[in-house]
Amino acid sequence: MKRKSSISTLLIFFSFSFSSVFLSSCGKKSLEGMMICTEVSGKIQQQNLWKSDTPSRIVAVDPTQPEGSIKALTEGYYSAHSPEISWDGKSLLFTAKQKQNDEWHIYEMNLDNFKIKQVTSSDVNCSNAVHLPNGRFVFGLLTSKDSVKTGHPLFTCNPDGSDPKQITYNRNAYSALTVLNDGRVLALDKTSSSDKQKNILMVMRPDGTKAELFYEGPAGSNLISKVSETTNGNIFFVESGPGSQDGTDITSISYNRPLHSRVNLTSEIKGDFQSVFPMPSGKLLVSYRSSETERYSVYEFDPENKVLGKPVYSSSDYDVCEIAVVHQHVRPKKLPSEVDFGVKTGLLLCQDINFLDPDFIKNSQVLQKAVAIEIMGTDSAMGVVPVEKDGSFYLKVIADTPFHIRTLDENGKILNHSCEWIWIRPNERRGCVGCHEDHEQTPENRVPLAVKNLPVNVPVHIEKIKEKKISLE
Amino acid sequence: MKISTKKIWILGILVALGLTIYFPGHQFARAHVNYQTGVEDHPLSCLNCHLYILSTGPIAKMVNEDYYSPINLAVSKDGSRLYVVAQEGNALITVDANQNKVINKIGVGELPHSVVLSNDGKNAYVSNQWSDNVSVIDLSTSKVVDTLQTANGPAGLALSADGKVLYAVNTYSSNVSVIDLETGEEQKRLEVGNNPTGIKLSPEKKLLFVTSRRAIIAPYGDPVKTEMTLINDSSRRIEGFKTLESAHIAENVAFTPSGDIAVVTLVRPKNLVPSIQVERGFMMNHGIGIFEQKKDGRIIQLLLDEPNAYYADPFDVVITPDGKKAFVSNAGVDCISVLDMDSIRALITVSTPEMLNSYANNLGVSSRYVVKRIPTGSNPKGLALSPDGKKLYVAEQLQDRIAVINTESMETISTIDLGGPKKITVSRRGRILFANAGHTFQNQYSCYTCHPDYHEDGLVYNMASKEMGRNLTNTQSLRDISKTAPFKWNGKNQTVYKQDGIRFSTVLTRTEQFSYPDLDAITSFILTGIFYPPNLQYNPTRELTEAQLRGKAIFERTVDNTGKEIPPENRCITCHPAPYFTNRKLADVGTLAATDDSILFDVPHLNNIYASSPYLHDGRAATLEEIWTKFSPYDKHGVANDLSKIELNEMIEYLKTLSSPDYYESLKKEIHTENTSN
Repeated sequence: MKRKSSISTLLIFFSFSFSSVFLSSCGKKSLEGMMICTEVSGKIQQQNLWKSDTPSRIVAVDPTQPEGSIKALTEGYYSAHSPEISWDGKSLLFTAKQKQNDEWHIYEMNLDNFKIKQVTSSDVNCSNAVHLPNGRFVFGLLTSKDSVKTGHPLFTCNPDGSDPKQITYNRNAYSALTVLNDGRVLALDKTSSSDKQKNILMVMRPDGTKAELFYEGPAGSNLISKVSETTNGNIFFVESGPGSQDGTDITSISYNRPLHSRVNLTSEIKGDFQSVFPMPSGKLLVSYRSSETERYSVYEFDPENKVLGKPVYSSSDYDVCEIAVVHQHVRPKKLPSEVDFGVKTGLLLCQDINFLDPDFIKNSQVLQKAVAIEIMGTDSAMGVVPVEKDGSFYLKVIADTPFHIRTLDENGKILNHSCEWIWIRPNERRGCVGCHEDHEQTPENRVPLAVKNLPVNVPVHIEKIKEKKISLE
Repeated sequence: MKISTKKIWILGILVALGLTIYFPGHQFARAHVNYQTGVEDHPLSCLNCHLYILSTGPIAKMVNEDYYSPINLAVSKDGSRLYVVAQEGNALITVDANQNKVINKIGVGELPHSVVLSNDGKNAYVSNQWSDNVSVIDLSTSKVVDTLQTANGPAGLALSADGKVLYAVNTYSSNVSVIDLETGEEQKRLEVGNNPTGIKLSPEKKLLFVTSRRAIIAPYGDPVKTEMTLINDSSRRIEGFKTLESAHIAENVAFTPSGDIAVVTLVRPKNLVPSIQVERGFMMNHGIGIFEQKKDGRIIQLLLDEPNAYYADPFDVVITPDGKKAFVSNAGVDCISVLDMDSIRALITVSTPEMLNSYANNLGVSSRYVVKRIPTGSNPKGLALSPDGKKLYVAEQLQDRIAVINTESMETISTIDLGGPKKITVSRRGRILFANAGHTFQNQYSCYTCHPDYHEDGLVYNMASKEMGRNLTNTQSLRDISKTAPFKWNGKNQTVYKQDGIRFSTVLTRTEQFSYPDLDAITSFILTGIFYPPNLQYNPTRELTEAQLRGKAIFERTVDNTGKEIPPENRCITCHPAPYFTNRKLADVGTLAATDDSILFDVPHLNNIYASSPYLHDGRAATLEEIWTKFSPYDKHGVANDLSKIELNEMIEYLKTLSSPDYYESLKKEIHTENTSN
């Protein structure tokens, strides 16, 4: 009798335990499959929402039954945008400010319990955070008075905001970050200079090494949205055509050959697109409006047949301008880092400064051979270095210092000064084929004469490179 | 109550004893694994190392499987049969191509490589790379009816236009056996390029093209050049050599039906460029060589790669009967690249020599002629087309399977299971990882790319671990290295686990490091799955010649020719004792270059050393002779300056006989048995 009673007690205990677990799990509604959107109440004036005075909010919407399923995720914030979901579908990063006059900061929401924690807390704007495969975040540091001089450098930090590390040093203005499946960070670079507005995508390793051009739109075009990559190597974003009079369109490029695979998927569709997000099904979710009098709504888009589908979600009070969907996806590759903060320099090898690819020869006047390079810092010249007979040079450069290179003829006359600002990370070793090479050119298999000697220190007046404290702020 | 107390005491003692053993034991195991792997977080699992790196014994048999590993194949003239060479199965597998079913398995020699069918379709000839012969199979009875002797390491096969002569390409001895099929006798051997494999008769039936995998041995800094040998089919003589600049690993060749073009697979290494990055193709490119067949025809190279995607380890190439499409198997990325031949013709017709030079290093140009990448199973190797050209058969080597591809739709329409084991063992998984470029940034190269046949590629690289232009590194063979630790020329890696760990990904593969299960698997394969070919070229009978014996005595001598004792540390045998011919220590043999960091070098193992030129840590010695005639002026690399030329030659001849460690272990056993019975 006593045994029977014990069994009954045990059964009751287990039933109670299971019921508790069941009931508590019912209370936590999973967001798997939900759309996370940024909604803007006023007119969208700026492509970068952080610059806009119009407040925005982030909401979760069930795409299968949008009506009645809208859940505001950033209540209590003056404005919030740039939602990014981790590959395990458990964490949402966003940029927000709690009061109108606050700075923009990065916040992380646990999608299991909707708890929000502030990640960054400095007195400058931080924006556009995305998850790195190594568990850190990468984000842009913004000043409201951005200029060529200040730029928008990229930083990485731990999930609690600690250990911030600057990874770009060229004073360009980076935004709209994405982590490619190969583990590299893709960033929109819209730096303005006196003669032109850049509109390119730069790619780099998460430690800021091996930064290079990934995509450049046609002259006069303007990249609008963050970039999204699918698992089969397609990359989508929104871009305005030259002149912008025809509205904005969805552009597709191939990961394998991004510089020469541009396709406008929506040239036949009248209206504007604001953002794009690829679904596991292969379809895209796009933010679209048919005319300026309409609000941006979420539509399905078939990229294969270039057909705009039915609206998925719209709001009469808001422009729905950014989209993400909560779902698990493959984690990008976790790239190893060659950066060593114990080393204060990096190495740069150029195989042949005079290399000219045949297409360049056809289109250029510059055929005179360079015999030296001049390295220009931000405020002063860092020195002139003769190049070897084969056109190679090999530099040891103070790390994390922006510079650009111009080529000189035997009379010291500048032949070309179009090189971009470059920076080398501590212990980074970087190579390039030449200055005028097609970005698809690989090096010729030969020993560059320059590496038969020690590298030339840059700045050249420094005989011995001194230790340098690297400032991360 | 008394008993209970006693029980509690016993239990307490047992627990205390258990804890006493567990904690130090755990600590010991942790320290052991940390040492072995060079990291502190590798899982503590005894089985991973102590079970899966066993290569012999009953347990090793239990955890391993015998796979077929198809490498090449041929299709019968009526298209009804496939003949598949099962490289590890030592067999030719007959497949019903209509039913997609295996009919039978015919045992052949060791490590068969290629198959060719006689012109009347009655016989199949299978090259046995580790038996130095060709099996002749009567296809009506599925029996081996004859065995034809070749030179060392026969691989590619071709028949003469009249079908009376079989050409067997001998990879290890770098020559071609010309075999009279009526007599079965080898008529002559033609010396061809370095490490040849593929051979094909041109459509006009005049010339045979023979590919080479290894480049001509040259000092570091000289251009990498690999030869294509042309044989005149009528005269059975060498017609000439053509050179592929900046390329090597030319595995196979195919002709268009019209004969206007020959296409060869190749790899374009960047070993002379400091290995500072993978981005922008700085380490390895993969492509094809095009030989125009007209008078003064050009040799053109085009890449298969794309700017952010590389197509590692091209192996075979076939061209459809209409000459419109070529298919190339990219063994390192599990796909077939489909090339539009008219686009290639158009491109090369309008291109200037400067443009073509540029295209050889251009990653974007492939978009003009690569029309599709067809995914396959693991490690696609040999290709064969059905007679009507409508089906492409692919030997998926590490899948034990044949893929059937529709050449018009360019889709895989079916697969043929060859009946190998279904279980993928840990070592097999390691081999799959080894052969796949997926663990390198953008798939630029696999382990196999620098270690073809799990050996080495004969090149010297500037690994540039610190500064560029320093510390040149001669690629080392991976054959049977399980007992030759430490690894790397500087001996810094005590185990393969460490060698292939995090540092490997930071400086070499430059992408995510191997997961620990993958690291364990690749280590298991490297330590248990790579064997030495039998040294049939220099030690075929296991009996040394008189000259070789004299050379052995010099190698083992303790006094020089003047009668002076050689200090033990300067005797060959001290640092190079059998069976691995390494004492596994570091040494200074006077070879430190101004561009080397000041280090000692790991004493290399010498088994099958004849097949590992160039020599020394930076590959400066093109031959074994040069080690002493050019690079040991002060007798720091053993005492040899007192030797006459004949004596040095005899020692070299002995060194060339050095075979696999198993051979010396078995010799030891034989001597022991003899001594016991006496």
